[in-house]
Amino acid sequence: MTDALVIKGLNKTFRAPAVDDLNLTVRSGELYALLGPNGAGKTTTLRMVAGLLKPDSGVIEIFGVDALADPTAAKRLLAWAPDEPMLYDRLTPLEYLEFVAGLWGVEAQTARDRSEELLRMLGLWEERGRRCEGFSRGMKQKTALAGALIHDPKLLILDEPLTGLDAGAARQVKDLLSARTRAGATVILTTHILEVAERMADRIGIIQHGRLLTEGRLEDLRAQAGDGAATLEDLFLDLTGQDQATPA
Amino acid sequence: MRPGSTLWLLAHEMRLGWRGVLARRGENRRSGWVALISVALVTLLAGVPLGLMMRRIEITVTPTGIVLADVVLAVIFSLMLSQTVAAAADVLYDRGDLDLLFSSPISPRKVLTVRFAAIALNLFLVFSAFLGPFLVPIALIAHPPWLAAFGVLAVIAVAATACGLVLAMAMFAAIGPRRTRTIAQVLSALIGAGFFLVTQARTLFGHAAGSVWSDLMAAAPAIPLPPAAALPLKALMGDPGALAILLAAAVAMFACVNVWLGGRFAADSAAAGGAEASAVKARTRPVAFTGGAFAATVRKELRLMARDAALMSQVMLRVLYLLPLAFVLLRNAGARETLALPGGAAALTFVAGQVAASLSWITVSAEDAPDLIACAPTPVSTFRQAKLAAAFMPVAILLTPILAVLTMLSPGVGLAATAGCVATALANGLINIWYQRPAKRAEFRRRRGSSWFSTLAELLVGAAIATATGLAAAGQPWAVIPALVAGVLLLAIRRTDAQIAQALRAAAR
Repeated sequence: MTDALVIKGLNKTFRAPAVDDLNLTVRSGELYALLGPNGAGKTTTLRMVAGLLKPDSGVIEIFGVDALADPTAAKRLLAWAPDEPMLYDRLTPLEYLEFVAGLWGVEAQTARDRSEELLRMLGLWEERGRRCEGFSRGMKQKTALAGALIHDPKLLILDEPLTGLDAGAARQVKDLLSARTRAGATVILTTHILEVAERMADRIGIIQHGRLLTEGRLEDLRAQAGDGAATLEDLFLDLTGQDQATPA
Repeated sequence: MRPGSTLWLLAHEMRLGWRGVLARRGENRRSGWVALISVALVTLLAGVPLGLMMRRIEITVTPTGIVLADVVLAVIFSLMLSQTVAAAADVLYDRGDLDLLFSSPISPRKVLTVRFAAIALNLFLVFSAFLGPFLVPIALIAHPPWLAAFGVLAVIAVAATACGLVLAMAMFAAIGPRRTRTIAQVLSALIGAGFFLVTQARTLFGHAAGSVWSDLMAAAPAIPLPPAAALPLKALMGDPGALAILLAAAVAMFACVNVWLGGRFAADSAAAGGAEASAVKARTRPVAFTGGAFAATVRKELRLMARDAALMSQVMLRVLYLLPLAFVLLRNAGARETLALPGGAAALTFVAGQVAASLSWITVSAEDAPDLIACAPTPVSTFRQAKLAAAFMPVAILLTPILAVLTMLSPGVGLAATAGCVATALANGLINIWYQRPAKRAEFRRRRGSSWFSTLAELLVGAAIATATGLAAAGQPWAVIPALVAGVLLLAIRRTDAQIAQALRAAAR
């Protein structure tokens, strides 16, 4: 089966290298958690995959489509949901979904059905006629997620999808992501909540200074560290050199 | 200054305001220089000759002078009031540091006093900057006591601020927090345009000669005037007693409003803070889900425009200027007054271009979700075309009946005006694409206009096309010259897609 995402020799430099010769492969149908400390290059990498940022060099393939040579074809296959929801305050969730469906050319009846399904699933159906300007952070995040899913993307890229969500909303989002992967979609997410990666991800990649430090299943990472009982937090802090003891 | 005192708080506001001015100057240093040079030019070319002329004229307190002064000051008051109504509503809504201030032990009344004193000060400075190039040379060359006019401006600013506050809070009580903001924006546009419409009344109702002013001056000696009516003229001429009375009255009015409404301010402001979230009724209108990226973008832009009260008030202001113009044009066309038609067609073209420019500037540059657009599998040209189409639709709806009637009454003029309106709208739309400045929609309330360069380009190209329209409507072959000038101007400032992308990247750095 074609891999969902293949990144080879990816480079991006702003003032300093943000992504440095990154190689990464995400298999089709898996939930891949990309972890790293602040400034590690996670968001820059994902923005390049989403076509929002041009790499200095390297290869990005999405389901075999060269995203740099044919960005439009690649964009049809993916959805990008950043940590700050991309919403229009003066549109209602339903109007927002109508707009996003139009951007991806979703057939009218399909878009209508999917909008209702997504808004109901995320607990927003009763709010479908209210403008987003009055929404809480969690409601905005869920509306943006519905927008990302309206065209049924094969690859869903989520940057910090659970930040600012209360327990109930976080559960709804996690359930939705699990359902998407069960249905065959591929999900790549970044998160600082390591328990989420530990419980949900099929594979975990840890990135620092724009390079992939390690990747694999949680058991693989434990085996690499030689500690079968280590938590992901222990492994992460150890690998990224952030495990200095805090003063008592 | 004691921390927490009114003066201390006022100094804090002024420091923030000044830093805002410095920051804006840093962003666009050239526009500051353009403004300074313009003031110097107006002073030299208009103010100084006016001062020299006034040296020979002795103004005395006559009924005509009193009426003239009162009317001019009433006009300035109405213009200031149009600003304060909107500003007063903004104070209730722009949260900024209000939550911090209200959670502190400082009384809400003090916060209100300082916020509105800042509005009055801002009004005074803006109007002084406009009138200064005339007033200062007149005072220095001809009548030094007339510097007291700045004191009268301060009086009007304080009074207008107090009235604006009362109006805004009355609306708040009558129609609720959310609608107050919308109505205040629209009301400010109406008050601003009111004076223009009054001066056009004679023309609209068919009296071509004379003016409202000449009628007023002729009737002035017969108007029974109370003694207080002379105070503004006396104050303008430097009578310290008259100025002191007016100043005391304005300050008393401001203080009374503070005492009367200060207690309610915190409550209203708190209500306004929640209004954004709660007051929009959930209305589930059917949505289309049809037509692809172009149609979806057009629908989105039209919805956002219709829901933007500040934008609609700006557009309405321009429409208010356009309607009398169109009315006169159609009346002249109906009466076969062919001499007046070309100028009207040119003016209609110019104003139509300005309305199209305002709307296309917003639709092209205001984008709350640029990343969403960027990661959609749709060519950027589709978005641009859709955004321009959305901007032109309201203009087309407004102009189509006017141009249709004009074409029926005078086919040549109608066709020329139609071609001119289409050309100027397209030209201004293209300028806004070439010189777009993407930002979130909320920021457009602060930035309001586009860059000085694109504004200037729109004015020049619009004027050239309007001139071509006027000449074409008059059947003059010379129309081709201004049309060519407009074309050359557009070619000179044109940007390719690569240049636009490069400019956007540079701006984002």
